[in-house]
Amino acid sequence: MTVLFLGGCNLDTRMTTFVTKGPVAETQYDLFMLTVWVTLGIFIAVGGAFAFAIIKFRERPDDERPMPSQGHGNPLVEIGLIGASILLLVIIAVPTLQGIWYTHDTPEDPESFMGAWYSGEELAEEEADNPLIVKVIGYQWWWAFEYPQLGITTANEMVIPAGKVVHIELRSFDVIHSFWLPRIAGKVDLIPGRTNSMWIQAGDNFLRWKEKQGVAGPEEESPALRADYAAYLEEEIHNYYYGQCAEYCGDSHARMHFRATVVDNKEFAEWVIDERTGHGTPDGKTWDDWYAAYADNPDSLTGDLNEGLKLFMGRAKCATCHVVKGNPRALGVAGPNLTNVGSRMSIAAGWLNHRIEEDGSIDLEKQYDNFYKWIKETDVVKPGNRMWKAGGGGIGELIDENGELALLTEDEIHKLSLYLQSLK
Amino acid sequence: MSDTEHQEDGHGSLVINNKKLLMWLFLGSDCMFFGTLISTHLIYRKLYPESYDPLLVFDLELTSGSTFILLMSSVLMALAVSAMHKGELKSFRLTTIGVIFCGLIFLACQVYEFAHFTNEGLTLSTNTFGSTFYMMTGTHGVHVAIGVFWLICLYFYSYTGKMDAHESAVDVEVAGLYWHFVDIVWIIIFTAVYLIEYIPGLR
Amino acid sequence: MSQTETEIHAPSTTQAPKTHELKPEPSQLGFMRPDHSKSVIMDWLTTVDHKKIGIMYGAIALFFLLVGGFEALIIRTQLAFPENDLISAQRYNQLFTMHGTTMIFLAIMPLNAAFFNFLVPLQIGARDVAFPRINSFSLWAFVAGAIVINFGWVLQALQVMGLFEASGPTAGMTDLAPAMGWFGYAPLTGTNFTGAGTDFWIMGLQILGIASLSAAMNFVVTIVNMRAPGMKMMRMPVFTWMTLVVSLLIVFAFPAITIALGQLMFDRCFGTNFFVVAGGGQPILWQHLFWIFGHPEVYILVLPAMGIISEILPVFSKKPLFGYSIVVFSGAVIGFLGFAVWSHHMFTTGLGKVATAAFSLLTMAIAVPTGVKIFNWIGTLWGGRVRFSAPMIFSLGFVWMFMMGGFSGIMHSSAPADAQQQDSYFVIAHFHYVAIGGIFLAVVAGIYFWLPKMIGKMWKGNLSTWVAIFSTVGLNVTFFPMHFLGLLGMPRRTHTYLEGFGWETYNLVCTIGAYILAFGILLLVVDIIRCFRNGEPAGNDPWDARTLEWATTSPPQVYNFAKTPIIPARDALWEDKYGPENRKITHEDDHGHGIHMPSQSWMPFIAALGFIPVGLGMSLMQAGVPYMGYVAIFGLLVLGLGIALWAIEGPGGYHMHPEVDAA
Repeated sequence: MTVLFLGGCNLDTRMTTFVTKGPVAETQYDLFMLTVWVTLGIFIAVGGAFAFAIIKFRERPDDERPMPSQGHGNPLVEIGLIGASILLLVIIAVPTLQGIWYTHDTPEDPESFMGAWYSGEELAEEEADNPLIVKVIGYQWWWAFEYPQLGITTANEMVIPAGKVVHIELRSFDVIHSFWLPRIAGKVDLIPGRTNSMWIQAGDNFLRWKEKQGVAGPEEESPALRADYAAYLEEEIHNYYYGQCAEYCGDSHARMHFRATVVDNKEFAEWVIDERTGHGTPDGKTWDDWYAAYADNPDSLTGDLNEGLKLFMGRAKCATCHVVKGNPRALGVAGPNLTNVGSRMSIAAGWLNHRIEEDGSIDLEKQYDNFYKWIKETDVVKPGNRMWKAGGGGIGELIDENGELALLTEDEIHKLSLYLQSLK
Repeated sequence: MSDTEHQEDGHGSLVINNKKLLMWLFLGSDCMFFGTLISTHLIYRKLYPESYDPLLVFDLELTSGSTFILLMSSVLMALAVSAMHKGELKSFRLTTIGVIFCGLIFLACQVYEFAHFTNEGLTLSTNTFGSTFYMMTGTHGVHVAIGVFWLICLYFYSYTGKMDAHESAVDVEVAGLYWHFVDIVWIIIFTAVYLIEYIPGLR
Repeated sequence: MSQTETEIHAPSTTQAPKTHELKPEPSQLGFMRPDHSKSVIMDWLTTVDHKKIGIMYGAIALFFLLVGGFEALIIRTQLAFPENDLISAQRYNQLFTMHGTTMIFLAIMPLNAAFFNFLVPLQIGARDVAFPRINSFSLWAFVAGAIVINFGWVLQALQVMGLFEASGPTAGMTDLAPAMGWFGYAPLTGTNFTGAGTDFWIMGLQILGIASLSAAMNFVVTIVNMRAPGMKMMRMPVFTWMTLVVSLLIVFAFPAITIALGQLMFDRCFGTNFFVVAGGGQPILWQHLFWIFGHPEVYILVLPAMGIISEILPVFSKKPLFGYSIVVFSGAVIGFLGFAVWSHHMFTTGLGKVATAAFSLLTMAIAVPTGVKIFNWIGTLWGGRVRFSAPMIFSLGFVWMFMMGGFSGIMHSSAPADAQQQDSYFVIAHFHYVAIGGIFLAVVAGIYFWLPKMIGKMWKGNLSTWVAIFSTVGLNVTFFPMHFLGLLGMPRRTHTYLEGFGWETYNLVCTIGAYILAFGILLLVVDIIRCFRNGEPAGNDPWDARTLEWATTSPPQVYNFAKTPIIPARDALWEDKYGPENRKITHEDDHGHGIHMPSQSWMPFIAALGFIPVGLGMSLMQAGVPYMGYVAIFGLLVLGLGIALWAIEGPGGYHMHPEVDAA
């Protein structure tokens, strides 16, 4: 039955720990499989003895056997079995210790140093010999990803380079969360009042890849090998990974997902520039001009996107809590950074998705629906979240000039959704 | 206060009175209570050495005095137990009153200390030092208060004429165990919370 | 019981010896003590008889087992399909919190306590526990704690109906039943994250802790001091041994959580900073304190189950327990090591390499004494004559399922592997194999084994086999797929999940399994009721058993043994039946003193009742209900008054002279 059951299931799923990429999750998987084999061995031996004893020594009708001997045990057998169990545990213990040491400290891998692969400019000199650092900050119920070396911040969808060590610092804003990207690394908690750290690496570096390929000698190097390795990064690693908060953190814990997009070096540099530059105004004005018009004669700013932006800055109060890079007045930090939110594959911390799985592109219709849904019923999508109430300042408590409750109208939500969709 | 008089075994097993054994278990458990409280305090002290300077409020003379008084009460308690074993009710009453008196002085000192500290701005919610300090010493104070109440009960009970050198001596001994324990805990708290602050290298 | 040899061999003659009428007597307060015979309710409320207390523990625990099971069914139904909206996120969070809390503190612990109470004095040949009134107090304090902890549901219901709204410190919070998980990690338990539910949880657990502590101390004294003559420590039945170990674990482990809960209560009520990050508190401290209690707690739950199994397997194999001393010793080692492995619940919190490695190795080490027990159980079967009666079927199921739970435990012990398993459904699978496959099956085995002794009636028919089939199949169908769910990345405590992660089929299978399991438990309840209603008289020793409790009548008389037995050997009854002449049980002569029995008393009940206003008052005060502080103070006064009167009224007691055949 078990075999049938296992035969029928697919272990290569979005958050699987079986089909892993990169050394951390692979180490963890190897250790897990070791424990599986050892316990399977024990299971067969002990379970076999158990089943045998039950069947062999069962009471039969008209049992003529004499009364079983009333012996109280056999010290030699006991000692032997204790010794055997200790031995089996040592088999697990030694690789476990190695695994703890290996997965704990961020390795010094010259190929992963920023200077070795990051082609963008504006990298501080002293960072050249450091790996990429990502600061993960957990909020109820979303994630902020800061790249302190690059001066950018994004939310809920992190971008990391393929095959490079990334050092991660974990902190929490409110309660305990846990950062879990199963296919790349096991989880580490984000605990308020302290900073935890871990490292991840999506895919192998050249050295480890060569070892796996069975290429003789670590010094072995050739353009063909390099090309093969690049193809491996492109094919195997270049991907979209699913992660989720793994420590219960309140009402919407189930809806605190995140994503990691793994890209090659060039794409990473482009992405960084994109994030830094941010967005202009919908109609190509400079921001100063736009704000001047917004102050003097808002009605002169027409079109759905302008209307959306006006709402964003005005009645809907989005800018109070959200940053949009480029826009000099959208500087709120209480909510997720919305720079390039239109190019993200999901919103609402990974709960509302619009990625087309086949080619990894965005389903625009779905994206619009998701923005619409999220703004309209944010308290339903993510119960308890701060955007709805925010201590009296949320969009669920918007009031008009008469002080009466006046939620965003369908038209307003439509325009806001279009504007947000345009942020890419 | 015994529930069953019959302790019919005693054959081959440890002979320790039920009530005494119960008290020993309680004290073992209590060790864990105070262990947790004191370690919480020391951990936070080590984590945030700069958060608060207790020397601003500590008054070593006063606390040493109250510690000394509590220690002396232990001596009196031992005398009370021995008096009860001999069935000398009068001597028992005298020493018990002494213990009660010492305990009350200690409590008064603590109340004064708390009031003084609060006036100086150290409250439960000021910082972690305040939280751990008050909770730990407060828990100890509650222990002392319960002990005092217990001894007062025993004192008045001695006038009912129902006390004898056998069963009641055990009751008094159990109360004595409790009292000595509370004293010992205070010595530990006094060392780990007060004295340690005066050792320059440790701060 | 002074019985002739022939009576022991002919269990059908269960003639209870006549006793004198039990008469009420005045206490030192001048009142009459509660009467034994006047009214049934009064008799049970004031009883100090360990057997009645045990039965009450069992009945209440079974009730809460059904409550917790019902909560689990709602949880599973919600998870049957992706993005299901049967219940809201908040309700789901409350349900899993209360499911865990109920099962651990209100179902398994009191079920264990039921066995402790009923069996331990019988197994060691005592008349009662050392402090019968403290025993009664423990029971009623447990009831008070259970009421307080579940009162959040009442308040939540009132809120849903619009009859109540929280104000005061937790104003605006809509969760009035606990919703922070059964280990209540700070700072989610702070006033800015959770409402009055947390206060009910804190106060309820605190009261339950007091109940457990007082019961545990009582049992240590009982086992150390109240043994019949000749019942040396190494002659005690293994179940009694495990009770001793568990009681000591409770004595030393509960203070940690009592203090942690106290600190948390101070944080919530009086503005201290123990776990408040803004004030310098460290939430991680809660985890350490909680698991210093929490891991021994795991063994507090499971060691009695091991004790039960160690009693049943020898009886149905007609052999003594293989390696008695090693089984006892390994139990003690498990208890001891249980204090040294708490941080394996915290492998993902960033302990540092060395601490992680140390706790990883210690956790592996604890597998050795656990394995030793399994080896010895198999050794017990080996060469025996295995009878498949219901208790044995469940016991064998226990060994099998517990082994499965143990294996996933070994997988957790490897810290890097655990990084993928922690807080996923893999963990859920692990501890439910231990809790249901282990503890629950053992408890059911114990119920089938000892129910004839408890009520004097034998269950009949084959319903028990169906209970075994449905619960074991249900257990495996529910929890085996959860291993895969966890390894495929489904985090625990999520009220719903998206489609497309490969979790749909597994979840549906789990839900179906949960209903199969529930049906099994329903059958169990039916079978127990059937046994009560029309079981045949069981006889004193229906299983041809080995230990002392089977030497007395079924159900035992209030004084347990008419004459104190003198124990010549381990497996006393077996030796008495089949052993050589010098190992027969003899009896002490009481020289006409009769049997001293403790009097019933209202005071433990009244004192424990005081906990209810204390708990509810403190919690409702946090929810902003006026005057609740006074209610709490009133409760404290009731508690104090109860204890004072308890002390003053004196132990009382009377003598009985059972007229036994001079055999």
